[in-house]
Amino acid sequence: MTHQVALTVLAKIKPGETENLEDILRTVGADVEENDILPFAQLSNVHFARFVILDEAKNIRNQSIRPSLVFASNVDVPLDDHLTELVTHTGEGLDLIYSHCEGYPGPTQRTPGSRLSYLRAHMVPSQAFYVNTIGRTVEQIHQESQLRDALEDFLDRQQAGSDWSGWDARRVRAAIQGFIRGQPDLRWAERPAAGLPFGWRLKERIRFFVTLLVLLILTPVFLLVLPIWLILLRYHEKKDAAEESRLRLSSQTRGTLALHEDRLVQNQFSAVGNVKPGWFRALTVRGLLWALNFSFRHIFNRGVLAGVDTIHFAQWIMIDEGQRILFLSNYDGSLESYMDDFVNKVAWGLNAVFSNGVGYPETNWLVLEGANDEQAFKAFLQKHQIPTQAWYTAYGWLTARNIDNDAKLRAGLYGEKEERDAAMWLQRL
Amino acid sequence: MESTVPDLDLKDIQGLIVRGYGSLEAACYVLLEIQDGEAARHWLATLADQITDAETRPSRTSLNVAFTHAGLVTLGLDAEALATFPDEFTEGMTSERRRLILGDHGENAPEKWVWGGPKTTPVHVLLMLFAVDEPTLETFYESVSRGFSSGGVTQIGQTLTTTLLRDAQTGLSKEHFGFNDAVSQPLIEELGKSGPPANTVKAGEFILGYPNEYDLLTERPTVRAERDPQGILPADPSESGVRDIGSNGSYLVFRQLHQDVGRFWQFLDDLTRDANGNSDPEARIRLAAKMVGRWPSGAPLVRTPGHDDPELGQENDFGYHDMDPLGIRCPLGAHIRRTNPRDASDPHLGPQRTLSINKRHRILRRGRAYGQPVSASVQIEDADTSGERGLHFICFSGNISRQFEFVQQTWINNPKFAGLYEDTDPLIGDRAPREIRRASGFTEQAMPARRRVSNLPQFVSVRGGAYFFMPSIRAVRYLGSLEPASPDIGQMP
Repeated sequence: MTHQVALTVLAKIKPGETENLEDILRTVGADVEENDILPFAQLSNVHFARFVILDEAKNIRNQSIRPSLVFASNVDVPLDDHLTELVTHTGEGLDLIYSHCEGYPGPTQRTPGSRLSYLRAHMVPSQAFYVNTIGRTVEQIHQESQLRDALEDFLDRQQAGSDWSGWDARRVRAAIQGFIRGQPDLRWAERPAAGLPFGWRLKERIRFFVTLLVLLILTPVFLLVLPIWLILLRYHEKKDAAEESRLRLSSQTRGTLALHEDRLVQNQFSAVGNVKPGWFRALTVRGLLWALNFSFRHIFNRGVLAGVDTIHFAQWIMIDEGQRILFLSNYDGSLESYMDDFVNKVAWGLNAVFSNGVGYPETNWLVLEGANDEQAFKAFLQKHQIPTQAWYTAYGWLTARNIDNDAKLRAGLYGEKEERDAAMWLQRL
Repeated sequence: MESTVPDLDLKDIQGLIVRGYGSLEAACYVLLEIQDGEAARHWLATLADQITDAETRPSRTSLNVAFTHAGLVTLGLDAEALATFPDEFTEGMTSERRRLILGDHGENAPEKWVWGGPKTTPVHVLLMLFAVDEPTLETFYESVSRGFSSGGVTQIGQTLTTTLLRDAQTGLSKEHFGFNDAVSQPLIEELGKSGPPANTVKAGEFILGYPNEYDLLTERPTVRAERDPQGILPADPSESGVRDIGSNGSYLVFRQLHQDVGRFWQFLDDLTRDANGNSDPEARIRLAAKMVGRWPSGAPLVRTPGHDDPELGQENDFGYHDMDPLGIRCPLGAHIRRTNPRDASDPHLGPQRTLSINKRHRILRRGRAYGQPVSASVQIEDADTSGERGLHFICFSGNISRQFEFVQQTWINNPKFAGLYEDTDPLIGDRAPREIRRASGFTEQAMPARRRVSNLPQFVSVRGGAYFFMPSIRAVRYLGSLEPASPDIGQMP
């Protein structure tokens, strides 16, 4: 098993070519798995991927920011394999798309090598990257989903043929184990899922503790700076509140967001916004994103993000020399339930990061109010959400909760279990 | 610190929001199209005197009125004010986005609707009449409808009649499948009636202008002060120069739901036949109860999982978290568990926090059944199940998308509800939601292992519907006072 990384490629679109590019990407998006241009189903180890056009926009000084194309994917390492696949198997599709972007190799110079150089030159790092469960690969997710389907069918057949009455959980579990033994293509389930490489885990642990140590050593500095920071914070918050008026939800429209973008099981969200002016905000948002990323990497990496268990992946990327933040996420359920989850469970977290963005509902002390104004927050999201022209998911019929359940189902297949544990395990089906 | 519970302005709120008029056993709903805006405004100005307010306990008749967005447009409400209404109401129930949210496709497609759909006359006004008995209702309807033609409105289609189904033994109201209905209604905190705190909800969830469960005021539609020269409407509490047309009003969701009683019981009967192929009424009723979450008497499965107990028919003070986390008593996907998950909706927060979040997704039901009952009880052998019958589903929400639509989309029609994989609500769920291969199953959690039912047919279909705005009585007077908009209001000096 391997861990996951985010690839983000950002390229300026040639003047006047945005519409053409949009048409091409919409064609891709209409059949994202098997289209003729870039069939995502042929890429391996890709959890999610998308193409998003950032339309021309204005920065805080009302200057124009030219349109760009974003490609973002969440993949199992090694990243090089993913890049190689992109430039060789889907190289021609890349050509068709990126020929509309500046700096792409000319028509006679397009080789896997030159494509790769281009992608590498346009890669941008994410300031924060959230992975629901680090170490769970696409292959594992697919396999365990197939396993579950097979077990459900097996139980259905048993139920049709005979009665469970008199059977205890251990007996049913033994029957399931026997069933798997007889299925050659499911024998892999008899072994537990491979863990993350020991060397990698060790490095992560060391990194975690060393960082904590450094933070501890720096504590006196933080304590010194804190009152100054708080005073500046309140000053800025009061200034922002005076300058901006509360957004009304009824005056925002969903506009061009395509209807198929609000799906049922899994959904994606793309949003971009200006960072509030001044060095205070620039510094604060960078610090907070760093802290967020630290918590994602070392704490919130086993399925739940402070009470929210519906997010698969999320990225925060600072673009345009720190002027804007791009936010991309892949999550479960409807947009309304996604927004409600955040308002109800992690409003403080949203406030901490997004209150540094222009137009965010007024906060006090960084974490209070803000997203707790439910409708103003939803208006803010609606104002900054942008259409995603093409979006791919490798397992669109599964929620994060389903995936976690499938993994625990597989993990509990073998080994000794007391009756009670076996009974609890069986409830996973 | 004592929190002050604001007094509700009962004289201004239309009565149906606050009570269901249980003592008025006859009711009908009249759909109207406005032909002449000016005449309709005059008609409304006088109708406002007849509207039953929330303070009155009516003994003979009651009247309430609501409007669609198209109705407000035709009445002449100005464009600026119209734009302050929420998207859901403005788009209407049959917009593309709303159809996706509500799962209205296939048999439920609005093209097939008898009213409210794109192929039928646009609905503008909903008139709701209640009376102590059928003869009184008839007379009442006659007198009200005499004012239609001079009032510039015409009736659309047939009057929607209702039937009060009562359980022969308990006298409690039932629905057509044979189950006691309306056991669980949220109690409005500010009305002071006592009940379990878990079931008591702030008025702002159902009545605009009062704090909701976020302790905030839900956005209300507004009009510019210049457009209310007579000062009929109250000033808006948050914005200056603006008057509040929404306060003391609410949004009314109406969906006419046809129930195929024969198909429901036939399917269950086929599934529960005994080894000799004979019907097993007890098993049949038990499986139905598992799908609903309550026994036909209303007794919740959580309290009495093995057999019905009519003593518990009105029991509504229970939760799932402590007594039934795995769904062994009441299946995780059962109808009442989906429409009100209580303290069980979230696995990571505790029951208390879950419950307080749950209160942000409640609806206040005010509908009634229609059509002839199939039989006096759930034993329907040899009963004639032909004919139209079902439920005129009516509910109030202060915030349609966070309340009614949320319940429909995230709980009822969600194959992933409660960690499930591909089951939607067994009674009313969408059998073919997008992106899922099959969602026509029902899972009964059990020890040692679950029992699954597959290929549930569709038992309930939508015959008509719309989103309405039920204004305060003052707001109805305001609508009656509108002057046709002149082109230069809007350019401010």
